Amino acid sequence: MVAVLAVAPVVLMTLLIGLRGVAAMRTTSDFLVASRRISPLLNSAAVSGEYLSAASFLGVAGLMVKSGVGALWYPVGYTAGYVAMLVLVAAPMRRSGALTVPDFAEARLASPALRRLAAVVVLTIGGLYLVPQFRTAGLVLSMVGHTPYWVGVVIAGVTVSTTLALGGMRAATYVQAFQFCLKLVLFLVPAVWLLLQAGAATRHDAVHPVEFTHFTHDTPVVFRTDVTLQIHTDTTVRTPHGDTIVLQAGTQRIAAGRTLIFPAGTPAPETRGGTAPDDPDWQRPLLDLHGTGHPVLSTWGVLMATMLGTMGLPHVLVRFHTSPHGRAARQTAALTVGLLSVFYLLPGIYGALGRVLMPHLYLSGATDTVVVALPAQVDSGWVGTLFTVLLTAGAFAAFLATSLGLLLVVSGAISHDLAPGGLVRLRSTVIAAAAAVVLLALPAAGVDAGILVTWAFTVAAATFCPLLVFGIWWSRLTVAGAISGVLVGLLGSAGTIAVALFGPPLAGWPALLVAQPALWAVPLAFTTMAVVSLIGQPPPRSAAAMLRLHLDPSRSPHDRRPASRH
Amino acid sequence: MTPGKRVAVTSPQTRLARSRRRARGHGELLRGDPLEAEHAAGLYRAQRRRAVLALVLLFTLLFGLTAVFAVFPALDEIRLLGIPLSWLALGVLPYPAMVLLSGWHLRRAEHVEEQ
Repeated sequence: MVAVLAVAPVVLMTLLIGLRGVAAMRTTSDFLVASRRISPLLNSAAVSGEYLSAASFLGVAGLMVKSGVGALWYPVGYTAGYVAMLVLVAAPMRRSGALTVPDFAEARLASPALRRLAAVVVLTIGGLYLVPQFRTAGLVLSMVGHTPYWVGVVIAGVTVSTTLALGGMRAATYVQAFQFCLKLVLFLVPAVWLLLQAGAATRHDAVHPVEFTHFTHDTPVVFRTDVTLQIHTDTTVRTPHGDTIVLQAGTQRIAAGRTLIFPAGTPAPETRGGTAPDDPDWQRPLLDLHGTGHPVLSTWGVLMATMLGTMGLPHVLVRFHTSPHGRAARQTAALTVGLLSVFYLLPGIYGALGRVLMPHLYLSGATDTVVVALPAQVDSGWVGTLFTVLLTAGAFAAFLATSLGLLLVVSGAISHDLAPGGLVRLRSTVIAAAAAVVLLALPAAGVDAGILVTWAFTVAAATFCPLLVFGIWWSRLTVAGAISGVLVGLLGSAGTIAVALFGPPLAGWPALLVAQPALWAVPLAFTTMAVVSLIGQPPPRSAAAMLRLHLDPSRSPHDRRPASRH
Repeated sequence: MTPGKRVAVTSPQTRLARSRRRARGHGELLRGDPLEAEHAAGLYRAQRRRAVLALVLLFTLLFGLTAVFAVFPALDEIRLLGIPLSWLALGVLPYPAMVLLSGWHLRRAEHVEEQ
């Protein structure tokens, strides 16, 4: 019931707004970039709505419960990405006249091979980013509505693909802008209520964290994924049916779906692979990933991945192409910094409260759900339920808005860049791509949204970021340089992800370099691109092509063509 | 009159426009106008100068803050309204700073184009 109340209005609203975009859609340009007629304010709301994904709405607070205050570096990096975008990319990118990032690559360097490679990168980033959105939709719905995991995944897939196939970018714009406002309200109001409702003692505890070593009250833990616990002394727990089980010291594997009640006073077990929030470093404002002992380097790695990755996210870049001209694209980026800044003041509140009220959440393998689980923890009556509904609705809006943008660029990469086709092919690709992502998301329940999304950022930072920075600001860039740089970045970051997913557990330096590949993959991609370019000769008229990106067509003395040519 | 296959009749102009659209992206930027080059190069250099300064400020803010946290762990102990100063410095401070930086850079970048 709660789930229906929360999700149905958001899904219906998305579909209804989506229908608005159906009118006047005839060309690929209409579908991909909404005919380039979106004003900066609407566009920045849409950019923010699209950008605040499951990772922002739920993931940051979850990461904070799990790894500490340092998790707040993620939103700082996410916002800083738009400052970098404003400074380096927004206006020149729009002036290229391209529809997608692969389009831009080909327009700048006249290389179809580079275009295809860029399309493959778009698909990699899109996949890494879409799967956690759908996965978290399934997880949140299963927690709030007690539905099986796959139901939420399928609902997300169907809603997003229908809206997009019907309305394209124009529909996506209105939906995302609306959902930004929705998300801001649905995140802000419960945060204030939680702070007031939690009481002075909880608020005091939230800013004076103590180590989490024992359960302070009888605590039911619902294991949503398979978890391996490390137990230090024999622990007696109860099941919901009243049976008692003794978990013996050592490692214990708990299957997904089980509920165990840890009595008050029981020592808290640790999970393998994750860090328990009992670390004295929890309150340090630096991120020590996997306890490798290099917090400053770890934090820089996260900053590089999130900030430079934002600059290369294809679904964000395509939003700048919906601006009528370069200046509007630049204004959009600047306004987005403001809108995101307001939103990102909030996840810390959820994280700090979640750390006091539900520190055990890391055991269930679903710290991502801390935001939606908090209201019930604070108030077991109807008010708590109401706020659970509001936050679930907000979370669903987050999945839908982000998935819309991503599915659009994934379909664009397939049906515009790899195998050019018309509008009909674009629309059917949307459906097929959504189905593929649903199939990928079904076995992915156990992977943290925050981690997958950070990988997507890392791939973007190591491929498109150098390509755009050099493409826009360096006339000596050659085709060979661009291709080799993007390839090195793609193979480096994707290879590391494979090691992290399937490789053996690591410790020390290798663990840090695998946990945060941006630290070495991004400089490596930049260097490769620069060195290979310096060896070769840039294409003829390459300097003119670059300079043209910095020319405001409406003000140029010789060029009076209208700003929008498609 | 025998019913035959329907054929679209278009002017040569339309056919030209269509074929041009198909070639979209193929080096459109590469067709430059040499007369513009000097004006564009001036704009480019002015924008690059401003971009470098803005980026230096942004990087100083972010990477400097991490260094401050590492060098002065005492910031975790000093409290403002009960909240550790280092939490505020990470959770609140960067946002107004970045908003100001963006507004400042936007004005400067637009100013270059208006001249």
